Amino acid sequence: MRDEAAFVEFAHGARERLRRTAYLMCGDWDQASDFVQEGLIRVYVRWPRLERSGGEHAYARKAVVSAFLDHVRRRSSTEIAMEPDSGLAAGLVSGQDVAAQVVTRESLMQSLAALAPRQRACVVLRYFEDLSVVETAALLGCSEGTVKSQTSRALSSLRSMFEDSPQGELTQGIFSW
Amino acid sequence: MVNDLHDLMHDASRNAPHDLGDIGAVLHRGRSRVRVRRVGIAGGTALAVGAISLVSLGWLNPATGDLTSAQVTRPGGHSVQLSDALPAVEGTDYRLLTSTTNESLDRDNGQRLDGVTDDGLILFRDGPRSGQLFPRFALMDPGTGIKDWLPALDIGQHHTTAVELGEERLVLFSTDSETGGAGNLMASSFDRATRRWSRTTWPGLPSTDRPSMTAGPDGRLYTPIPTTQASPRPGDADGDTFDLWSVSPTDGTDVRDEHLRVGAIGFTDTSLVWTDSTNGATSQVHVRDLTSGVETSFDPQLGEGCDVIDIEVAGEHLSMLQFCGLDDSGLRDDRVQVMTTDGEQVVNALVSGLAYAQLSADGGFLTLMVDGPEAGGTYLYDTTDGRFIKISDATSSWETGGGPSPEDLLLWSTPVNRGHGATTWLGELL
Repeated sequence: MRDEAAFVEFAHGARERLRRTAYLMCGDWDQASDFVQEGLIRVYVRWPRLERSGGEHAYARKAVVSAFLDHVRRRSSTEIAMEPDSGLAAGLVSGQDVAAQVVTRESLMQSLAALAPRQRACVVLRYFEDLSVVETAALLGCSEGTVKSQTSRALSSLRSMFEDSPQGELTQGIFSW
Repeated sequence: MVNDLHDLMHDASRNAPHDLGDIGAVLHRGRSRVRVRRVGIAGGTALAVGAISLVSLGWLNPATGDLTSAQVTRPGGHSVQLSDALPAVEGTDYRLLTSTTNESLDRDNGQRLDGVTDDGLILFRDGPRSGQLFPRFALMDPGTGIKDWLPALDIGQHHTTAVELGEERLVLFSTDSETGGAGNLMASSFDRATRRWSRTTWPGLPSTDRPSMTAGPDGRLYTPIPTTQASPRPGDADGDTFDLWSVSPTDGTDVRDEHLRVGAIGFTDTSLVWTDSTNGATSQVHVRDLTSGVETSFDPQLGEGCDVIDIEVAGEHLSMLQFCGLDDSGLRDDRVQVMTTDGEQVVNALVSGLAYAQLSADGGFLTLMVDGPEAGGTYLYDTTDGRFIKISDATSSWETGGGPSPEDLLLWSTPVNRGHGATTWLGELL
């Protein structure tokens, strides 16, 4: 019998974190909720085997990222996943009275939005989810070399975008690629 | 100012607005998705469950091979050829879970892997064969190989095909035809809690010589009853058409004419997808939302001169198996066109010698099994990231595995004993 009570408990517990991950990749909280819904449905389908073999959280994260990448792939030729906030961009340039922390946060989201989707996924998985290169490669179904190169390009782009803004320098903390 | 990326991302995602996501909706759609299974049997011979097959085109006896060198008109959208595939690496692309070998199927029937339950157990079938005149079934743990033999299924030697392999019940269907001609459909259900078999027949359902059943997300079984048949096959402009009926898997009196003329059908967890016909020209794919009843249609943009043999729907993907004729050198032009259920093209696999194609339960992978000495083997295309790999260098001509399986498990077979026997493999896709 499928233990739905256990699944519901897991879903409630995992949902917030999954949504944050999805939001960093897509830049929209409502859309992030949709990706989490789809990811959790995939977890539900696999739940009996996940209970036996473990790895519920890792599979849920993979399912949400896959839902995001699948969505992007469908729309890649016609739609930009995140629309830059023109008003905010103007604020950044003109230095209007916006709290510095909020501006920095939004600057990050705009910078992430400018990355290619898989670069964005690499950065989020490496520096938000704290996954290793090996774990990221396994989740994305690509080689470790691809993860390293995608992450390197993404970080380079992010650094230059930050350097060109009033927010200043960007570091990637203790992590390396 | 120095900004740490790790800290910034945590800060940027910290204050989320209220989440409108609904666990109840997740449960509802999850249950529907688990129920959706597709199955087809024809002429008393089982096709791989959830697969679409070109077996019926065997009379053409064409040459097979890679279409790379042939002057074949490419359809629109992204295309792949067999020669594009990279060798799969065990441990990186997939992990072997178990296998079973029949050394000589020339001499006698053997043992089959008829699918994998939602909780990861293999439906193992032994017989009918010498010494085991009536088939017996077990649920086998792929990790230990231990078989839990089920009580005898009193169904004689009728061929059964799994339509649902759930945690609560197993549903197999068959016909009562002894000859492979027109017969009445019947379902055998095994309650895993009580360990009892029960049988359902539907006296109100028309008999058919082309039996197939598709499980819908509402728990009903949908069966197309033939109305017109293309002549010659394939290539007749009108193609084959069917009237769609549905039945309850457990109530023999619950039979419904859906009053819908279809070609091939499939289900997502929220919609019914169908073509106007099979084995003929197909101009439109139709999608009906099962909740609202709203219908949409789109042009699948088939290649020129291509006839749709069958479709398969899994997750949000639709695959269309097509036969597009022979080129001047006699090379067969088979194609599998994958698109989303809103009509966006994903990939066209250009394959000559295709034995069958199968979408994984979530639509994430397309499996191609290809006959032939040069390009023969089992191939896998990842519809999410375009990865295209070759799992094996040959396929067995014996059908010893197939059935409903969880989305990341794959059954395939390879020849042994100079083709007299076969090994069936179960692997987990990584």
